Amino acid sequence: MQQHGRILDGDLETLGLQATLKMLALSGKTGTLIVTSGQETLSLYLQKGQIAALQEQSSSSADLIEMIRLLGRMDRQVAARFRSMADQPSAVLLDAFVQYRIISEAEMLQRLEFRIIQALSRALRWQQGHFEFHRNVLSCEIPLALNVDHVLLESLRQADEWDEALETGLNRTTVARWMPEFDGDVRRLGLEKDQINVLCLANGQLTVQAIAYGLLISEAHVALAMAHLLELGLIEVVDEALEAELERNLIRVLTTSQHELSKQPQGGADQRLLVLIKALATCTNGLLNHHGQYARELRGRGAMHPRQIARYLEESFGPLLGQVQARWPIFETVAFTQGQLDCQEILALNTLVKGEQLQDFYWDVVDGLYWLMKQICTTIVRDEIGNSRSGRQFLDLWRTFLHEIDEEIARNQGRGGPGNAAQRPGGGPGGSRDDPFRESNPRMRQAESDPRVAQVRERRRM
Amino acid sequence: MNDPVVLVVDDSPTVRKIVQLTLQREHMRVITASDGLSALAAVADEEPDLILLDIMLPRMDGYNICRIIRDKMEFRHIPVIMLSGKDGLFDKVRGRLAGSSEYLTKPFDSVELVQSVKKHLANAPVRERRRDSERNISRLRRRG
Repeated sequence: MQQHGRILDGDLETLGLQATLKMLALSGKTGTLIVTSGQETLSLYLQKGQIAALQEQSSSSADLIEMIRLLGRMDRQVAARFRSMADQPSAVLLDAFVQYRIISEAEMLQRLEFRIIQALSRALRWQQGHFEFHRNVLSCEIPLALNVDHVLLESLRQADEWDEALETGLNRTTVARWMPEFDGDVRRLGLEKDQINVLCLANGQLTVQAIAYGLLISEAHVALAMAHLLELGLIEVVDEALEAELERNLIRVLTTSQHELSKQPQGGADQRLLVLIKALATCTNGLLNHHGQYARELRGRGAMHPRQIARYLEESFGPLLGQVQARWPIFETVAFTQGQLDCQEILALNTLVKGEQLQDFYWDVVDGLYWLMKQICTTIVRDEIGNSRSGRQFLDLWRTFLHEIDEEIARNQGRGGPGNAAQRPGGGPGGSRDDPFRESNPRMRQAESDPRVAQVRERRRM
Repeated sequence: MNDPVVLVVDDSPTVRKIVQLTLQREHMRVITASDGLSALAAVADEEPDLILLDIMLPRMDGYNICRIIRDKMEFRHIPVIMLSGKDGLFDKVRGRLAGSSEYLTKPFDSVELVQSVKKHLANAPVRERRRDSERNISRLRRRG
């Protein structure tokens, strides 16, 4: 802001925001009031002593589109069209909503006023900071003419309400999301309308502040509704630091597995299949190891003995291994050891069998590991991240990795492998929707009563 | 739109996606290429601020790409970080001789990757000036 445009400035400790605003209103001033406290800034444009506009944060428009969609007031396709306006000031977006009859003009004005009250209720609590009043005119698409006394009263009421809501332990930037495990009937919980709306908007991205604006209710009201939903186990608070760490760890698992997959073996088809198996085993064990650190059930229990973690993993994923063993008997040589799949016997199969028989075994291992890996990934993503933004980002990455594995499998099949691509379990990590074992797979049916496995076991004993 | 542009050259879609996700979060614009020739085309079209280059690539390997980039006056200022699964001393020396700025081995840690990329991008103002002076020199040469 340029020095010459400044009419008034001072510290909030000397002259509070409330007094400053009233003084400017009484003298019918026109200009911009900028209040800063730490990292936070509020810019209000006054016209002849009345509040005309608020300078906005850029992210609010994208949030508003999503909230209107989540509340069922526009469908996904319409929302997608509006998203091109996400970087526009919210006044422009609201105007577009009015033009497309998504909201009424009265609601638009109500929303513009609400934003000002919301911002002011926050700024009124600032004890320390600085204010400046400039002659500069803020650009505002839809100028309002709000009475300062009315806005101040409403802002003070919301600020008082917030003080009461502090005991919830939530703040304006708290983000919550739906609990994936909840399988009860929400209608039977006797939720109030606002609580249902807050539940609808708890998508893991919207803050308390944003939800309040979306529903045009006070932030305190949102925080109290959120606290109730937390108590009922319908939502959970998103811990961004934990999610970033968790995502980084999952990415490390994929990086390591991809590195394993990219190794170029010397030798024939058996060796190439072995590389594929090692990559699948690395990924499966990487995911298990990861889940041992970040499983929801293990969080917040302090340092745990590795044996306890291993027991948890074996209890969680043992049944899946059992299913794989029932379908691909070669997996009877695989067991859980300290929470990891011990594939040593499989990796040493080439010391016992050769040729076509070895390749058949290897293909069974590829099929089984691929299925198991997908199931484990589905379980851990649902448990740890759920339907959050980082969860979706990871799933996108996971699909790319699966696609790369699919290509590698197809390449191996092209090199003389026995099966065809359609016989393998495919698709994304939502594998539970698929018929997991593809009953039509002749190789799998054969495996059920496979005498060769007994033969391998016999030889191993010798 | 002043975000630095990073070109990621790797034949693995997983690696491309991981790097893209990691660097986009750091406010970098990421463009990708899956083989040597498309990488060179992307360098010419987009003139990225930094290149992350795999060694084993279809159509042309990373050493050759790096050499070609270093031979071109207009692109030689671009830092090239080799990102390879080969971790032998010989490979690292070969990468250095080809003109790479740094050599990272796979599997890489995303934090380490971001640190390296930022370190090389931090030289951007110096690089900008160098780029301008190189352009001026070549313009003068053409006139002369």
